[in-house]
Amino acid sequence: MKRRNFLSLSAGAAAATGLAACGSSGPADTSKDSAGGDAASYWFLSGPPGEPIRQGAVDRFNKANAANQIKVTTFQNDTYKDKLKTALGAGQAPSMIWGWGGGGLKSYVDAGQVDDLTAWFGQNAAVKDRLFKSSFGPATIDGKIYAMPCETVQPIIMLYNKEAFEKAGVQNPPQSWAELMSLVPKFNEKGIAPFSLAGQSRWTNMMWLEFLFDRIGGPEVFNAAYAGQKDAWSNPAAIDGLTKIQELINAKGFVKGFSSVTADSNADQALLYRGKAAMMLHGSWSYGIIKADGGNFIKDGKLGFFNFPAVDGGKGDPTNTVGNAGQYLSIYSKASEHQKETAKKFFASLLDDTEQQGWIESGGVPIIQGSNSKLAASPDKDFLNAIYDIASKAGNFAQSWDQALSPTAAEALLDNISKLFQLQISPKQFADNMNQVIGK
Amino acid sequence: MTTALDTRRPGQTAEVPPPPASRRPRILQYNFLGGLTGWIWLVVVLVPIYWIVITSFKLQADYYATNPLVPSSPTLENYRFVLENHFVRYFFNSVIVTLGAVVPAIVVSFMAAYAIVRGSAGSRFLRSVNAIFLMGLAIPLQAVIIPVYLIIIKLQMYDTLGAIILPSIAFAIPLSVLVLSNFVRDIPKELFESMRMDGATEWGTLWRLALPLTRPALVTVTIYQGLQIWNGFLLPLILTQSPEQRTLPLALSAFQGQYNINIPAVLASVVLTTLPILTLYVIGRRQLLSGLTAGFGK
Amino acid sequence: MTIAPPVVRTAPPAASRGARSVSVSWMAWPALFAFTVFGIVPLFGVLVLSFSSWNGLSPNIPFTGLDSWRSVLNDPDLPHALWVTFLIMALSWLAQTPISILLGVFIASHQRYRNWLAVLYFVPLLLSQAAIAITYKALLDPNFGLGAGLGWGFLQQDWLGESKLAVGVVIFVVSWQWIPFHSLIYQGGIRQIPASMYEAAEIDGAGRVRKFFSITLPQLKYTIITSSTLMVVGSLTFFDLIYVLTAGGPGDATRALAVDMYQRGFKANLMGPASVIAVILVLVGLGLALLLRRLGGRDAAESQLEGA
Repeated sequence: MKRRNFLSLSAGAAAATGLAACGSSGPADTSKDSAGGDAASYWFLSGPPGEPIRQGAVDRFNKANAANQIKVTTFQNDTYKDKLKTALGAGQAPSMIWGWGGGGLKSYVDAGQVDDLTAWFGQNAAVKDRLFKSSFGPATIDGKIYAMPCETVQPIIMLYNKEAFEKAGVQNPPQSWAELMSLVPKFNEKGIAPFSLAGQSRWTNMMWLEFLFDRIGGPEVFNAAYAGQKDAWSNPAAIDGLTKIQELINAKGFVKGFSSVTADSNADQALLYRGKAAMMLHGSWSYGIIKADGGNFIKDGKLGFFNFPAVDGGKGDPTNTVGNAGQYLSIYSKASEHQKETAKKFFASLLDDTEQQGWIESGGVPIIQGSNSKLAASPDKDFLNAIYDIASKAGNFAQSWDQALSPTAAEALLDNISKLFQLQISPKQFADNMNQVIGK
Repeated sequence: MTTALDTRRPGQTAEVPPPPASRRPRILQYNFLGGLTGWIWLVVVLVPIYWIVITSFKLQADYYATNPLVPSSPTLENYRFVLENHFVRYFFNSVIVTLGAVVPAIVVSFMAAYAIVRGSAGSRFLRSVNAIFLMGLAIPLQAVIIPVYLIIIKLQMYDTLGAIILPSIAFAIPLSVLVLSNFVRDIPKELFESMRMDGATEWGTLWRLALPLTRPALVTVTIYQGLQIWNGFLLPLILTQSPEQRTLPLALSAFQGQYNINIPAVLASVVLTTLPILTLYVIGRRQLLSGLTAGFGK
Repeated sequence: MTIAPPVVRTAPPAASRGARSVSVSWMAWPALFAFTVFGIVPLFGVLVLSFSSWNGLSPNIPFTGLDSWRSVLNDPDLPHALWVTFLIMALSWLAQTPISILLGVFIASHQRYRNWLAVLYFVPLLLSQAAIAITYKALLDPNFGLGAGLGWGFLQQDWLGESKLAVGVVIFVVSWQWIPFHSLIYQGGIRQIPASMYEAAEIDGAGRVRKFFSITLPQLKYTIITSSTLMVVGSLTFFDLIYVLTAGGPGDATRALAVDMYQRGFKANLMGPASVIAVILVLVGLGLALLLRRLGGRDAAESQLEGA
């Protein structure tokens, strides 16, 4: 097995065709080109709600630290992933790598692309201790911390339309899976879809399985698959969860044509606030979207929310939740010493009061212990407090599967989920297909 | 509506300067099937465009609250938003990149096509050149993007418009050469012979004989490649970084938030992007069409 | 577009062939140079990577011989992706060609209103694939799209959720975008056909349908080949549109080769297998180009000086 560096490889290819002479002077560090000096580069996602808040944090940092400057570039969500991957592959990544932790972070760690921050957190206990403990889960790979948790906690919750509930004569949100199933015909009779689902986006379907697996068999079920245990997906609890979701689909639990509904256009949110669907399982960031697009829906008190109900006889703790325990910033291992130092200084400055306030106003809960003391003043305090409670009291805060798994396995997972929801494959076939990618 | 087509008298149609053939081929008249297709296609084309235009005047908050096909409380808010987001700069970047890539790409492809047709019988080199271009027809850009990225960095062109232009030229060459060489090949040998008798060089023959006779193909290929480059997304995304170098397709994604797309704003920028080219097309259509029908006088 | 040489080809005098080759060779250099730097060198890199199991991230590239080739060639997803690619290619050709010819005939007529129609037809061509995909996703939404707006139930299908419908949607949207371009090419081709040919046919008493099949279509032969080449080769690299519209789904119903390659390489971090698929794509493109040349009755290596 021969190992070669990709740069030398492509230089070799160029030399082979006699072109190496054309102005090659070694790889240029892109952040040096543009910023002048040795500013640390930082790429993050553009667009509301996060961009102005992230930008504000950088601006305050740059103002306070004349010797440590940060240069930002923003990208849209999907394009960011491609851009970052190309940059990493070519050895040209930004000094600070923004991400979702978990499997993606692990692939950077395996490739030696990000620095181990365990020692730094050891020296800076104050930075570590003010954050939610659960936020370090996705930042920790093999017992070492490779990323600085930041921004907000985003558990997945069930949202419901109180008006639709009234119309169907349903008093309270369901407390158990059986109750949930019994509500399905009640809503369908009134011409209201029980659940909105943006099935085209695939990860939306995945959230259902994440909760069902957890409620039926506890976090161990998925953890076994994550840990690479053989045939982990064939666990009876897993099969039960997969069967239950197909039962719900067959009972017309999801809005008609859900496989054509897309999450990125927020059509699933619109179904809920327009009263075409009664409930929706979605990330807590939904709140901000509904607030912006849904007219007076929230103001008129029509939005309700609850944690995913228990499954009768299930082993999972119903306080468990799933979602994003935070967002993550890692340090690129090829960044210069000065850039790394800047990055660490910046990490320590993150989530100051101004930034926390920004996230709260956007409908998010910062991952800071006790940030609930700031929530009382917010007009969205009911929702924000609920999120704070779910996140801080969760027996287990699991990471979204597609982010926990390696990119290879995640792709296979999303594929099979889409087939499962189309009823193209049975629970057993799903388990067989997924067992094959365990450990990949 | 189609009955109108059938009652036309021949000769009623001569509003445009007549083409080389003095009378229109009769096939073009009384064409019921063509007429039917034409009008149906018009509806097919117009419905989405109508939707794009009316939606671009809606507020994001109204988007799901109103009937998608009915205009409601029109607002210029989206257009203001798009124009405030450096639209004009993105637009000019796109113009520079497209012109800067298409013109050289077509010129070098035309020269190569000419050389391949005129010379490959006697030159192993030109035959291999032709084979190399054929191989390039289906290079998937996503596959080669990392090597291209590294080369651009080596050339110290990262984050410049040139970084988009050079690969765009390269990737336009194979298909252009293929199409153009087919057309150069159709030029009767006798014409080349008579050029040679008159003492013209190959260079002169290229411009004075081959160019006018392949105009239709040149126009076709130029439009095709121009549109590909104008709408290109991956090269600008990977090969540039600063907002100053962004092109229009990248700007589109600027109206997509972290969790959602601002559809009316995206559509407003689509309308703004399309209008100038459409205007250009309306003005230049006659030239374009005469370009497409040039060739041998018949 | 159609240049039907009125002159019968005769063998030219065998004069100074070698000298001429030398004198034209240099004209191929600029294109060759540009294409080598940004096409061949990266392609060579892809070929090299196809013998590795690179994850796309690591600075080290583990070379594992034929492993990636073996894994791709044994993967049942590959025949499926090839099938989807050819299906989309064939169906979109079948949908686009007749409509483009009919529209070409229609707008070739010199009437002002048809000129304006041609302007309207042209608009879809100007939109980026991403914009088109966003538009169609919105229009096809079962709850807020076209069907809901018109109140027509039959338009409220699970367009992107059912395999057959999704393939149909991809082909429709591709046709929607590209038919205007191809009808423009055909319009040019039809205007090239000498009126005298039709007049002669009329004297023989040919009807319109016969004229179309015995004059228009044969005269459009080279136009059809040009347009088909653009359609077929272009469809191999359709990526943006499929990706934004269906992301290869539902399941893998619309996962053509280019989408498959992207998902393996960029989403699943399997650069080795993705490079294998890229090499396969290049070979398929090459094969198609050669095939199209044969259909046109011309061999790739043939030049007009052949036989001299």
